[in-house]
Amino acid sequence: MEIKIMKNILDRNQNKADEVRKLLELKKVIMVNIISSPGAGKTTLLERTCEEFGEKFRIGIIEGDVTTDRDAQRLKKYGIPIVVINTEGGCHLDSHSISKVLDYFELDKLDVLFVENVGNLICPSQFDLGESFKLALVSTTEGDDKPDKYPMLFREAKAVLLNKIDLVPYTNFKYNNFRSDLKRINANIPLFEVSCTRGDGLKEWFEWISGQINNLN
Amino acid sequence: MHEIKIAEDLSAIVLETAKEEKLSKVTRVNIIFGQLVQIVPEIFEFAFKESVRDTVANDAELFIEIVPVKMRCIKCGNDFQVKENRFECNVCRSTDLNIISGKELFVKSIEGEQIWK
Repeated sequence: MEIKIMKNILDRNQNKADEVRKLLELKKVIMVNIISSPGAGKTTLLERTCEEFGEKFRIGIIEGDVTTDRDAQRLKKYGIPIVVINTEGGCHLDSHSISKVLDYFELDKLDVLFVENVGNLICPSQFDLGESFKLALVSTTEGDDKPDKYPMLFREAKAVLLNKIDLVPYTNFKYNNFRSDLKRINANIPLFEVSCTRGDGLKEWFEWISGQINNLN
Repeated sequence: MHEIKIAEDLSAIVLETAKEEKLSKVTRVNIIFGQLVQIVPEIFEFAFKESVRDTVANDAELFIEIVPVKMRCIKCGNDFQVKENRFECNVCRSTDLNIISGKELFVKSIEGEQIWK
């Protein structure tokens, strides 16, 4: 006998994500789910962002880390609330782990919650965390083929940051390949070309993200 | 690697349904994956087998149907299949699109028997 089910396999994750999203909307907190490869510069981006907005916005951070709390240690100096989720080898965060750690934040006292997902371009794209939007971060040293290889992320993200543009002379990264592939996959997505260590292009990113925070609040 | 978590969630749904329907054995599980979700079938099958070991679904065969990425153009209403990651209407060239298929992670049905010894 055949029994029809017709159900999303990730229903449990989706239901919890919907709950998280509702709660954050009620508390007027925007949640940004940052997805990138390991070493693309998520933590450095957050360092620069905390330095820029430390006075202007109330920031919280959820650090998804496979085993350590090294990223959180780097961000401690900004005196903002940070919670680490160790995935114990898991390749992505899910909505249940996010929901559990939200209790550690005073949501009424936050404007924006950055989630640093586990470094990986495929798995985190599948799991809705209840975020306001996803941000794709890639770096020039990874090569210019990332949009074409991981189209789901670049379709789902609301903006793309291309980091480490200061290192382009030392790589075979071709801006044209990257830009045209991204355009083919998601023609209207904003792209910020930055160097988080040197500061290039960050002004545009700060303007865009503050616009997002102001709009949603 | 996300195959493992998805396989575990699938086995939970399969076993729950088998219990509700009083199945003694699950013989087949029919699922649909969209092309965008980038599941590697071999890893997924392995992970599923592991998570149903020693249950009524121990011998269940997994049938995976992969569905292509299809979009609908918001501007002209044309439905088309996305090839080579080209997310652009093949009639009017608009890039304002809604997804019709390609992101599925669906369990369609299970098949089994109710023979209790």
